[in-house]
Amino acid sequence: MKQIQSLFEARWMSSLIFLILLFLITGIADPAFLSYSNIISCFNTATMYTLLAVGIAFVIMTGEIDVSIGATLGLTAAMTGLIAQRDGSVVVMLLVVMVVGAVIGLVNGLGVAYFGVPSLIFTLGTNSVVRGLVYIMTDGRTVENFGGTIASYGNKTLFAQITVYYAIAVALVAIAHFVLTRTRKGKYFIAVGDNAGGANLVGISVLGTKILAYVLCGLFAGIGGFVFASKYGQVMTVAGNGYEMTAIAACVLGGVSLSGGLGNMVGAAIGAVIMSSISRLLVFIGLPSTYDNTITGVMLIVIVVVDALAQRRSIEMSRRKRLLSRTAENTPEGGVKA
Amino acid sequence: MAENVHGQSCVPRLQISGICKAFGQNVVLKGIDLSVRAGEVLALIGGNGAGKSTLMKIIMGIYTCDRGEIRIDGQVAKLGKPAASLAAGVYLVPQEPLLFPNMTVLENILMGFHEKESELKKRLSQHMQELGFQLNLQRKANTLSIAEQQLVELLRGLMRDARILILDEPTSALTFGEVQALFKVVQDLKRKGISMIYITHRLNEVFEIATDVAIMRDGVITLEGPVENFTKDMLIAGLLPQDADVQQNDRAYEPVRYSELKPVMQVKALTGYGFKDITFDLYPGEILGIAGVVGAGRTELISTIFGRDKTLSGQVILDGKDITGLPTKRVLEEGINFVPEDRHRHGLFRIRSISSNTTSALLNSVKIGRINMNRSQQKRIAKQYADDFRTKIVSLEDLIGSLSGGNQQKVVIARALSTMPKVVILDEPTRGIDAAARSDVYNIIRQLKEAGVAVLMVSSDIEEVVELADRAITVFQGRINGEFSREEITQDVLTSASFGIGQERKVRV
Repeated sequence: MKQIQSLFEARWMSSLIFLILLFLITGIADPAFLSYSNIISCFNTATMYTLLAVGIAFVIMTGEIDVSIGATLGLTAAMTGLIAQRDGSVVVMLLVVMVVGAVIGLVNGLGVAYFGVPSLIFTLGTNSVVRGLVYIMTDGRTVENFGGTIASYGNKTLFAQITVYYAIAVALVAIAHFVLTRTRKGKYFIAVGDNAGGANLVGISVLGTKILAYVLCGLFAGIGGFVFASKYGQVMTVAGNGYEMTAIAACVLGGVSLSGGLGNMVGAAIGAVIMSSISRLLVFIGLPSTYDNTITGVMLIVIVVVDALAQRRSIEMSRRKRLLSRTAENTPEGGVKA
Repeated sequence: MAENVHGQSCVPRLQISGICKAFGQNVVLKGIDLSVRAGEVLALIGGNGAGKSTLMKIIMGIYTCDRGEIRIDGQVAKLGKPAASLAAGVYLVPQEPLLFPNMTVLENILMGFHEKESELKKRLSQHMQELGFQLNLQRKANTLSIAEQQLVELLRGLMRDARILILDEPTSALTFGEVQALFKVVQDLKRKGISMIYITHRLNEVFEIATDVAIMRDGVITLEGPVENFTKDMLIAGLLPQDADVQQNDRAYEPVRYSELKPVMQVKALTGYGFKDITFDLYPGEILGIAGVVGAGRTELISTIFGRDKTLSGQVILDGKDITGLPTKRVLEEGINFVPEDRHRHGLFRIRSISSNTTSALLNSVKIGRINMNRSQQKRIAKQYADDFRTKIVSLEDLIGSLSGGNQQKVVIARALSTMPKVVILDEPTRGIDAAARSDVYNIIRQLKEAGVAVLMVSSDIEEVVELADRAITVFQGRINGEFSREEITQDVLTSASFGIGQERKVRV
């Protein structure tokens, strides 16, 4: 009973309810939406956002931000394509994307945690650098015509129409969730975001934890790049542009607090599904897809504002309650009636 | 120490020798020697900027020292990061407990450990039993009171088998009952042979719980030894700079003629969050002291008058005009100004110049120009106050952050005055200010009074109220429980009333 209660208090639970509500409302507008294959494809299309959201959730939980993951995804996707054009093996591709992603993350981590540059500024810088590398590496041309094994994986389903990649993403979410909630080091991410000074004082390395968060973030973006190339079979120079915003929005929708110290991976993954479903929902509701960005933007702002207000209110309420208890009539020890 | 009452070996638990530390040009520690034995409580006192915090941060491994040596149980300890200090058995309970607000108490205590959770829990409940703590481990840390947060911090330290606990002003935010509970814990820990460094500004506490005392001033230890060897006056003398002419206050200035005056501000049965049924009058040219312990509701009272919190019932009348519940901007315009307790959070624009800070309350007035700011006027005002208040500055264009605490406070008071208020509310005007600057601030407050401004002064420092106030009220648990005329004000009377000890409410004649 207690566990069920705490389940409902969990922040990700409200995002799940929100997701179900969105689906139901769309279903009312057009019952065709509620078909199994349609709903499953909402999840399948969320694969890349899920990977990015889980990666960036590590960073956001430590109280920082990373806006370079879209470019990282683009670069690693282009590299995957280039290797595929040369008939390289999948193992090589995976190794390359993970190493490249992790190195970009390391650079971000050092810049933010070691040199103390504000994370938005620093990762905006790496975003440009990495995007620039895509142009250099591809001569500004779309990487395409790479066939072979990786293109054929793209939309392969595992069972019940779930794609292999989404299944892998879900597995990674589960692992990340386990690490975050069940391991000691995993809790450090939340601790650092919750109170960096306090973390330092109990012997947690704030520097190391932040760097690790960025490395993991880059790693997930790298894997995302591989999935991108495999899914679409061609990589434009602007591939992944704007994905960072979607991933951040997914985290926020999933209850990961932008000020750090709150949230979990399940929420971020659900948020990713919400974000990737929006354009599909619009089609069913009958709005043109040009509304897509505006609606997600409005939704994001509303949720962030509501969250901030709710938090402020609860802090204020507990303060007032505490103060009122001081002047309560029955004053215990040493009370003097004026 | 010849007579070792605790019978421990002669090797001190913690021995610090020749610690020096400078931040750039600023030399903070100039060769500190200190030692603490098992079961000793060393009270460390000293003004702001004396270097106490820096020294503690070095022991805790947050800073590294430039020179000197730290020995723990006779072994040279290589500190330099908190993990190393923790491993060596040092734990710092900071003034503002640094918990993880979104985590449970249990998670907070166990964070950073590597052992099995079940074992840790067993040890934790053992510690809690020994000390008689009762705390729901599943509560979120952001629901804890400051006192409870400190208990969590102490448990964290004990769980790490800390043998050297550093308590940084632990009582500064506690109520009287909580302070007594904390002292009991300190006594228990002392019996268990744990060494403590107890940083405080309250001299009474030194005699209550410390075994030894050390005074720090300007980066050196000026006085050290067993508590029995000192009296309060000796400690005060040790805190004062040698060249300061110690002024004895004779309180020989003109008494306020209340019969000829009309109150400028009347507070009638004001009730808000943290205080109830507060009634008093404030007259021009007087200093009304509001005494009481931290947490009695005084800060809440004045921030409510100043429009920063909601009024539940009652009235505030300024010059015949009802200003109850007006927003801060309007309250300011009506002629009340406020010098906050926390200079840094509410008082200063840290990266602006001294002159900008002095005139920042005038930005809305025509005095320094509506659109194009009149820089020379701004400078003139700032210079006048700097001269009047004897603020030690090199240039008015220096950043406010480069000033010492006392001089910063002078700038904040100057700013409050620049609006020519009828009423000035001062919240803990000399908190964290060294003795020399303190007497300057006192002079400024007296100047205010002579200029006919009504001064409402909240202070936890009873001596301060005794020295300055024409009248005083005491607040206990959110209510006024005593009102005293100048003749009645003594340290004893105010102290006992602040702690809620048997006072009939007296009505001023």
